[in-house]
Amino acid sequence: MKAIEGIRRSGVGVEPARTLRDVAGIMEQSGLGTLAIVEGDRLVGIVTDRDLVRRGMARGLAPDARIDSVMSTPVITIDAEADLHDAFAIFRTNPVRRLAVVRDGAFVGMLSVDDLLIDLTSDLADLARPVTAETVFAHHHSPLPVPT
Amino acid sequence: MALNATVGDRIVIRGHHLGEPDRDGEVLEVRGPGGSAPFLVRWGDSGHEALFFPGSDAFVQHFDSQPQ
Repeated sequence: MKAIEGIRRSGVGVEPARTLRDVAGIMEQSGLGTLAIVEGDRLVGIVTDRDLVRRGMARGLAPDARIDSVMSTPVITIDAEADLHDAFAIFRTNPVRRLAVVRDGAFVGMLSVDDLLIDLTSDLADLARPVTAETVFAHHHSPLPVPT
Repeated sequence: MALNATVGDRIVIRGHHLGEPDRDGEVLEVRGPGGSAPFLVRWGDSGHEALFFPGSDAFVQHFDSQPQ
């Protein structure tokens, strides 16, 4: 499975010059708490609703301050065509919950720990089904072969 | 994600949690080749515009461009 196929939620991107107020409104309207900061099609940063509070409001920034003043950069990325399991290693070695998915350097979506957990839970349920059936229900042994 | 749109289409993101409403926006520009993403979208009634990269939680409502 490719990394891009693991994305469950849509992504939203804004330009670095947008204001904190604008971005807060876009987060509210889109229902997303993490946005990509893009310049053209180039990914330059990432910003979360937590950044707006801790790096913006808590430091007294004005609502019309630029969003790139509170974004995180550089962004940890994964290639869209990479194996989804490569994301596990990246999450294991980096203290992040989301990876920006890129193709030829252009942002195409956001892959989250939640996306991977949902897939893992589904896989575990599939694996548990035959084990559960074997444990809960009576076994049906095949008859021994009849000698001829 | 293979999701194509044209200017004037409506993008809908399904609610992620129980009771969360769907979100929607109007496609203002198609920035990708052949009608593909990203799309410049105006969100709801707020007038906020942002680039949209559709995931599996989104779909497009196409509208007939011919007058009725």
